Amino acid sequence: MPGEVDKTDLYDRMENFMNDLRKDERLGSCEVARRTVDLLRRLISQTKWTSVQDLMDQVWEAGKQLMGADPSESRVGNMVRRVLKIIREEFVSGLREDGGIEADGAEAPLDSLSVDYTQPCPNLKATVIESIGELLQEIDGSAENIAQQALEHIHADETIMTFGGSKTVEAFLKNAGRKRKFHVICTEGDPQFGGQTLAKNLAAADINVTLVPNSHVFAMMARVNKVIIGTHTILAEGGLKAPCGIFNMALAAKEHKVPVFVCASTYKLSPEQFRSEVQEGFQKYVDPNVFYPLEEFAGIEGVEFGNVVYEHIDPEYIHLFIFNTGTNAPSYVYRLVKELYHPDDLDLNV
Amino acid sequence: MAQTADKEEVVGYYNSIKEDNPDMSPPLAALKALVRFLESNKMVTISEFNDRLDRCIAALSESESKHSSIHAGCQLFLRFITLTNMQFADFERCRQNMIHRANHWVNKMANARQTIARLAEPFISHGTIVLTHSYSRVVMEAFKEAVSKGKMFKVYVTESQPNKSGYRTAEELKKLGLPVTVILDSAVGYKMEEIALVVVGAEHLVNSGGILNKIGTFNIAMAAKMYNKPFYVMAESLKYLDIFPIEQSDIPAAIKYKIPDYPEDKEGDTEDRHPLIDYTPPKYINRLISDIGVLPPGAIVDEMLSLYH
Repeated sequence: MPGEVDKTDLYDRMENFMNDLRKDERLGSCEVARRTVDLLRRLISQTKWTSVQDLMDQVWEAGKQLMGADPSESRVGNMVRRVLKIIREEFVSGLREDGGIEADGAEAPLDSLSVDYTQPCPNLKATVIESIGELLQEIDGSAENIAQQALEHIHADETIMTFGGSKTVEAFLKNAGRKRKFHVICTEGDPQFGGQTLAKNLAAADINVTLVPNSHVFAMMARVNKVIIGTHTILAEGGLKAPCGIFNMALAAKEHKVPVFVCASTYKLSPEQFRSEVQEGFQKYVDPNVFYPLEEFAGIEGVEFGNVVYEHIDPEYIHLFIFNTGTNAPSYVYRLVKELYHPDDLDLNV
Repeated sequence: MAQTADKEEVVGYYNSIKEDNPDMSPPLAALKALVRFLESNKMVTISEFNDRLDRCIAALSESESKHSSIHAGCQLFLRFITLTNMQFADFERCRQNMIHRANHWVNKMANARQTIARLAEPFISHGTIVLTHSYSRVVMEAFKEAVSKGKMFKVYVTESQPNKSGYRTAEELKKLGLPVTVILDSAVGYKMEEIALVVVGAEHLVNSGGILNKIGTFNIAMAAKMYNKPFYVMAESLKYLDIFPIEQSDIPAAIKYKIPDYPEDKEGDTEDRHPLIDYTPPKYINRLISDIGVLPPGAIVDEMLSLYH
């Protein structure tokens, strides 16, 4: 077709990303979010569309493909929805400027008068690309924005417990370590053992560290002032989908009345609700070979090996979320979800 | 008199709407009657509009006093349609604008039950065991939706004394082909260990984030909490009532002694009358599934207060 841009490059990039998602479970969350948004930006700048609806359909289609690569990787879906929301917002504000829509006084929740997305909108591409650029900046700066809040939460001579090797938590602790003296108890976070790396890095930054196995969490909790953890996903009701082992820590913290803080960027905020442990995205099993060297078990029959990755933590175990956009209680998370995503984009899975 | 004429007119609309659609919920029928009234009456000033609509609402809640949700729904309606900008010099344009908003809103409310059913369906998983209480149209709709998605699950329903509305639930669920057992209200504690999920409807949503519902709901909620079982409430945002109960005795008497299809006991002292509605505080509720989304119990209030204040 004349005028059609060659999109083989885009498809190659998408294919690459999907392959990485499928095989590499250690892909950093920031990278996942960034690459998703980047691909969608390319798609939008290279695609021709007849109406906004058409554009959203195309983003949706591509998004569904990317999400299909790893259903447990909610951050891809989050980013697709953020981009769709940007398109909707830019379109509506474009219409407002042109006077195509009557500005309605109160934006009450029951008041979302429907918008006709089939109307043409000439300058949409430029404004959408610009807004997506801002989203990318937000993603890149999020770990730093979270770390900057560290001094509000970590005080002198406190004992902090953390789990595994979250990059966000590492930056957070290091930021506090520049000004204050405190003690960190790192748990190993097996089977990945990210806690060992974290302990090493913190020690290098001159912070007092004790490294303990996961099983010592309860025994150590009595001397802890607060628990600061990262997570894989925050669910819409304020709960977590987090690496296995965190729930044990949250339970121990509750028993000892120790507050639990979760450091996370808003791209981890999913509009999905927790329904049951067997829902899609929760049942992720990976190769158990990392902690059971299978050759040692050769010849033994009747033993199954399992390596579940995630578990659910109810909002009642969490005291505070430290987001890049500010600090919120779990009961407020539904509101953030409302701000970040458009209700019509929520069932993208269907 | 013009006053009685207004009353008769709006109650007449209500009755004819109810006659045409016997399954429509009372507050929705009341809203439709109000819209019809607004459409067929020209008004000149805002205070005339306020007076006449107030009168209509009073007439509707009076004639259908069994359904306290009518009053709440109408108040919400008034609040919502008058949120529109009133900058037009001539009131007729204002009225047209309000009719437009009213129709939009009422249509949305008319779909609320389906919206809730669609949102609730994923929470009912195949092969699970659900407990419900009394009879609730919206809960039935959610069960229907789940069945239409090919899900099979067992339902326990409480008998729900004194009007035994649980039997109606059981009958309708049997027609859907679901295995259902009616249990005694007092057997909830016994059965709770088997149950995976509790779903109930609500007569009213209140400011604390709790609910007012058929007597016995609170007992079930407490048992569910003891067993750590999820307790979900399904209710239309139309059921919101602007009160903040602290304890059971704070439930307004106009609501407490009334349930549909059951004669109200007017004899004796208030002290001796048996309550038919109880209050379940928000800490017992895990999720509220409403037409404005699946929310933590306190959130509905945020949404509704933004209309009121």
